[in-house]
Amino acid sequence: MLTPDPATSADGPVDMRTATCLLRRRFTARLLPQLRLLVEECALREGLAEPRRGEFVLAVDEIAGNAVEHAGGSGRLVLRRIGDELECRISDSGPGFSETVIPELLPGLDGAHHGRGLWLARLVADRFAVRPGDTEVSGARGAEVTLAVRVR
Amino acid sequence: MPTWEPPGDHLIPVQHMRPGDHAFVSYDDDEVRWEVMTAFVRLGLAQGEKVVLFPDPWLPEAEVLARLDYTGRSTEAARKQGQLVLSSMRGLIRPDLRFTPERQLGRLHTATARAAAEGFTGLRAFIDMRWVPDLNADVRVMMHRETHADALFDGRPYSEICAYDRRWFSREVLHAMDRAHPRSLLERLGSLRSVRGGDGSVHFIGDADTTARRPFSTALELALSGSAGTRRLTVDLTRLHLLSVGCATALLALADRATGHELVEVRCDRVHARTLHRLGAGSVPRLAMTEVIRPC
Repeated sequence: MLTPDPATSADGPVDMRTATCLLRRRFTARLLPQLRLLVEECALREGLAEPRRGEFVLAVDEIAGNAVEHAGGSGRLVLRRIGDELECRISDSGPGFSETVIPELLPGLDGAHHGRGLWLARLVADRFAVRPGDTEVSGARGAEVTLAVRVR
Repeated sequence: MPTWEPPGDHLIPVQHMRPGDHAFVSYDDDEVRWEVMTAFVRLGLAQGEKVVLFPDPWLPEAEVLARLDYTGRSTEAARKQGQLVLSSMRGLIRPDLRFTPERQLGRLHTATARAAAEGFTGLRAFIDMRWVPDLNADVRVMMHRETHADALFDGRPYSEICAYDRRWFSREVLHAMDRAHPRSLLERLGSLRSVRGGDGSVHFIGDADTTARRPFSTALELALSGSAGTRRLTVDLTRLHLLSVGCATALLALADRATGHELVEVRCDRVHARTLHRLGAGSVPRLAMTEVIRPC
């Protein structure tokens, strides 16, 4: 699927770059291995080299896994090429969360492991944001996490 | 029927297939059979290789294409450009009608050279071995081919997966063919195997994703317990494709608590090394990382 899209967000146009949709998938826990394969395939096609490609797939998997575990067992992924960036948006219809739940510093190994996946995803991203989702389902707006890396 | 579990010494995930690799895989499920094939085809196309598919000759071409395209973007453009070719063993050896190893190897050798001349970075072939009953070929002759194909792979941009249906081939043939191939593949995407080496080391293969955290931790705990006498353990992650944050953290936490050990050596690729470093590997005094470069 190669559909030109305007690069927009809820707050209006981000910039004047043309966005090309590379992948649009709904996922559940069972589909996460397939989702990783498709994201890796797109990243390869777009020229994202290792080790950044592996880190990008890992970060996407952590966010998607977080949606499955904490936001109703499913989510939606949109992967786009915007200028020199690969941008992945993952949305869910769970209770929603803000970036403040992500620890500023890496938690110690002797404590709880919660939040480490999102912490690492934010660390490896060149651009990272969390915002409320677009649609309200049963009183929950969900969340949308945006993660982008520069291809070159 | 007992579960098929191939030996782990030459087992890799399909994502690690590289030019020059000759791999065995087996299946006994008509859904699962597509997982390795679609991954091999799609990643090959994405990196500019030509891909030739020899699917189960009893399956309609439309079903094969639908399965390939279901998972993502259409492969139609690749087919039109000649990058993806659906073939058959009958078609490969034509105009001859009888399979001989020399005939088949010669045709694949020529196809590899042609792919390079066409500007592709290499050729990969996925061969469903149900062509054997289709051509009424002798299984022993087929086995001879599988064990005498090195010239097709050595130093050449050719890789091949041979997929065996466990419902058709005998257990003896399957075991012999698994041993005959330099590589063997995990049957499913997203699966994890752990294997113990003769020196007490523990090797992880496949995807250590979030759902695999418990078996990953259990295998590590057993390996640490088993190496208490020598006080040294090697953890080999070089055949792991994904190392999730959950499993990486479990590894670091267990190594941190293994106060009886002098050394926990982790062998891994660059991505996993960077993940472990970011998650605090430097704060675990007995942990040593050895970065292993995998060929691209």
